[in-house]
Amino acid sequence: MARVRVGLFVTCLVDLMRPRIGFAALKLLETAGCEVIVPESQTCCGQPAWNSGDAPGAVALAKKTIAEFEGFDYVVSPSGSCGDHIRTEYPTLLAAEPGWRDRATAMASRTYELTDFLVTVLKVDSVPGDHEGSITYHDSCSGLRSMGIKDQPRALLAKMKGVELREMNGCEECCGFGGTFSVKFGEVSAAIAERKCDNVLASGAKAVVGGDLGCLLNIEGKLRRMGDENTKVLHVAEILAGDA
Amino acid sequence: MSSREDILGRVRAGLQRNAGNAAVGREVMAAALSSRSQGPKPAMDTAPQALLERFRVKSEAQSSTVDIVVAEAEVPTAIARYLTAMKLPKAAVAQPALAALDWAGAGLAVELRGARDADLVGITGCFCAVAETGTLMMCSSPATPAAVSLLPETHIAVVHASRILPYMEDAWNLARAELGSLPRAVNFISGPSRTGDIEQTIVLGAHGPYRVHLVIVED
Amino acid sequence: MEIKSMRFKANAAGSLANVVLQGNLKNAKGKFVTKRAEALKDLDDFEGTRDAAVAIRNKVIDNLDLWLERFEQKAQETGATVMWAKDGAEVCRLVTEIARKHGVTKVTKSKSMLSEEAGLNQALEAAGIQPVETDLGEYILQVDNNEPPSHIIAPAVHKSLDDVADLFHKVHGTPRKTEIPALTREAREVLRGHFLSAEMGLSGGNFLVAETGSVALVTNEGNGRMVTTMPKVHVVITGIEKVIPTLEDLSTLMRLLPRSATGQSISNYFSILTGVKKPEEHDGPEHLYFVLVDSGRADVVGGDFHAMLRCIRCGACMNHCPVYQTIGGHAYGWVYPGPMGSVLTPLYAGMENSIDLPHAATLCNQCGVVCPVGIPLPDLLRRLREKQTERGLRPLKERIGLRLWAWVAQRPKLYALGASLGARYLKWLAGDADRIRLLSTAPEWSLGRDFPAPQGKTFRELYAARQKINKEAA
Repeated sequence: MARVRVGLFVTCLVDLMRPRIGFAALKLLETAGCEVIVPESQTCCGQPAWNSGDAPGAVALAKKTIAEFEGFDYVVSPSGSCGDHIRTEYPTLLAAEPGWRDRATAMASRTYELTDFLVTVLKVDSVPGDHEGSITYHDSCSGLRSMGIKDQPRALLAKMKGVELREMNGCEECCGFGGTFSVKFGEVSAAIAERKCDNVLASGAKAVVGGDLGCLLNIEGKLRRMGDENTKVLHVAEILAGDA
Repeated sequence: MSSREDILGRVRAGLQRNAGNAAVGREVMAAALSSRSQGPKPAMDTAPQALLERFRVKSEAQSSTVDIVVAEAEVPTAIARYLTAMKLPKAAVAQPALAALDWAGAGLAVELRGARDADLVGITGCFCAVAETGTLMMCSSPATPAAVSLLPETHIAVVHASRILPYMEDAWNLARAELGSLPRAVNFISGPSRTGDIEQTIVLGAHGPYRVHLVIVED
Repeated sequence: MEIKSMRFKANAAGSLANVVLQGNLKNAKGKFVTKRAEALKDLDDFEGTRDAAVAIRNKVIDNLDLWLERFEQKAQETGATVMWAKDGAEVCRLVTEIARKHGVTKVTKSKSMLSEEAGLNQALEAAGIQPVETDLGEYILQVDNNEPPSHIIAPAVHKSLDDVADLFHKVHGTPRKTEIPALTREAREVLRGHFLSAEMGLSGGNFLVAETGSVALVTNEGNGRMVTTMPKVHVVITGIEKVIPTLEDLSTLMRLLPRSATGQSISNYFSILTGVKKPEEHDGPEHLYFVLVDSGRADVVGGDFHAMLRCIRCGACMNHCPVYQTIGGHAYGWVYPGPMGSVLTPLYAGMENSIDLPHAATLCNQCGVVCPVGIPLPDLLRRLREKQTERGLRPLKERIGLRLWAWVAQRPKLYALGASLGARYLKWLAGDADRIRLLSTAPEWSLGRDFPAPQGKTFRELYAARQKINKEAA
């Protein structure tokens, strides 16, 4: 049987800030038997433009991304937020152009967030990494409420013997990041993040883990400003790949 | 142009109203009004005894108290017993619809009329009751003035078990069948009046009764 | 009501700095959220009930003109008078005229957000008519120098027990009470006199029933019943979008409204009022007026924000909103706070008067998830952002920045260069540390948190290097 060909959408934040998350995703997909291709020309999915009211910019970037990724069996991203933008919003924002809308719809049905893909499509039995210690999981908003990412990361983490999951209060509450919201309303954003961090700390876990780098940067930045130097802030891919 | 025409004109413009879609709209409206379709309802055991039990449990959850008697003739004595236990006066205003009961025989000074501010206890019947939520349905009329269940600090309601219905939808059908059209005021009452406006702390007795006592007649 | 939404950011900063308010918000948040979740449990089929509610509301707003005409006809048949108001000024004029016609000197009011929109209390006072708010929360605000509400269901949610104790002591001239039941009793006694002496009662309307020409009112305190039972005149002011078809539809919506609003399976009092008192009846108003209000609603019909007209004003969106939970309702600057307010304020009070509101959301969609009539609030907020951009209402710097970003992101080589320079610049800013204390390119970020340092090279650079090594090895 031919290997599943996966186009890895790295996301602009991972590209800029945390390449190791991209490599962890790569490792997880390759270990699971996929042929992974990373289109060199990929940039941004266009979500910031779309959410900021720049529809023409968002449309242009959607078309660019579709052209780069529609040839693969699947499109996988280590982000519920970017994955959701491609899956849910592309068909909407290209609705006025039937040709593009159909291409968007076709690609949307093959686009997955990383942990969802590993569990739902590949149905993996094991993961390459192990991790010793307690963690608490932050459910990022788009992944949770739009893509239904809740049990998938937990199912994968449960395959690692050393991981002890300590759920925090309000794990489904927003961390206050919100993309451009975090730089437009910094004080409010940081105050929301403080509630999240209080819950992280109260869980007593040694690490907080999530599936979206934006939230993780926000949580890490707030934890450090609050004086917490010990809690690790990790992307779920890093843990599953055994890189953390 | 009148404000009415101005407003309706802009609504019509927004809906791109024309003769064709107006005809379709009227059909939708007629169908909705005649079908009276119902939404999903919580499942419930509708056997009479189960309805009574659910109504009692739900009423108590709303902070009402419940007494059950086996015949209507026992109602005045049951109410007298309650007033004594609560150290409340043995005087009350009652809806004229309750004139047939022997109040004096139970030692109660009951006046059959509309309510006044000074009335401390108000006694009413009810049109029917809804088991789903533990709710009384009161229909206003000359014999059943609305304020009797509102002004006094204590509201006592007589509920016939045979008129405890599963859902509010059943209450509407009963009203249509027995009254034809709606009375001036239909009041659904679920326990004593309350407020949570100071620190979300629930306090009973906001503007209406502090306590609601139900006497259910098993008939 | 005066629109202060342009000061959102300053208002929000004030809210964050207000220690008492922060305590009150924290206290309120848990109660609303927990109670709603509990109350939904005994509704076997929340999703199905919500779908039914969406269908009911759509049925009406998709043919709103027809349903309004139908409601008007039925209401008139019951003996009510139906009036129409284009805006708040017309609401004030009509209500004042009704009051004058019946020789009214005092009006008792149950909670009406439309009255807040119109600034009706000020208009009545100017006409020499005394308005008395009777919802406990609204009363507290009225006697506190007409402070505006901060929540549509719990108007005084920002006030603490101590605040109310001080206030009642001052305005009632009574010994200071510190128990909530005692304060409630004090307000009850003051307001009972008003209920009995007012010649006119004024209420909003939760729903208008087209089948019967009735208004449906939902209250817990009983003040709604008082103002519609005791005075000789009852005036209902409601938005034109509040019509629903049948009594059965009312039952469906009532399974959702109290649960979503206060976490009750049903509110204490749910009144369906139809027509006027008959001569032989003991109580009820002799005159009933409906004032059907537009104030921006008609122009929303059929457009991008049509779905917003489904709103049944439960407040669940704000109760679950991380931003509302953090800053409270006053920061939003007008009548309606939280996500629904951030959509309604631009639509009803002007997009140019509320530039920040559509952006004051993380788009977390908690509001969309809890909305009992399935309004896609994040989508509507995003669409408002688009409208702002189309109309050139956003700051120039932001517009240029966004355009530049999208332009660069369409040019992969330029983008790759920019990203690798950016990664190095941020790494340089961090120095030996694993974080940047002050991010000069986005100072707002640094107001309350650090910015984690990047690895220093981009994924694409590292990946290209790895591919090269793999190739050479092969």
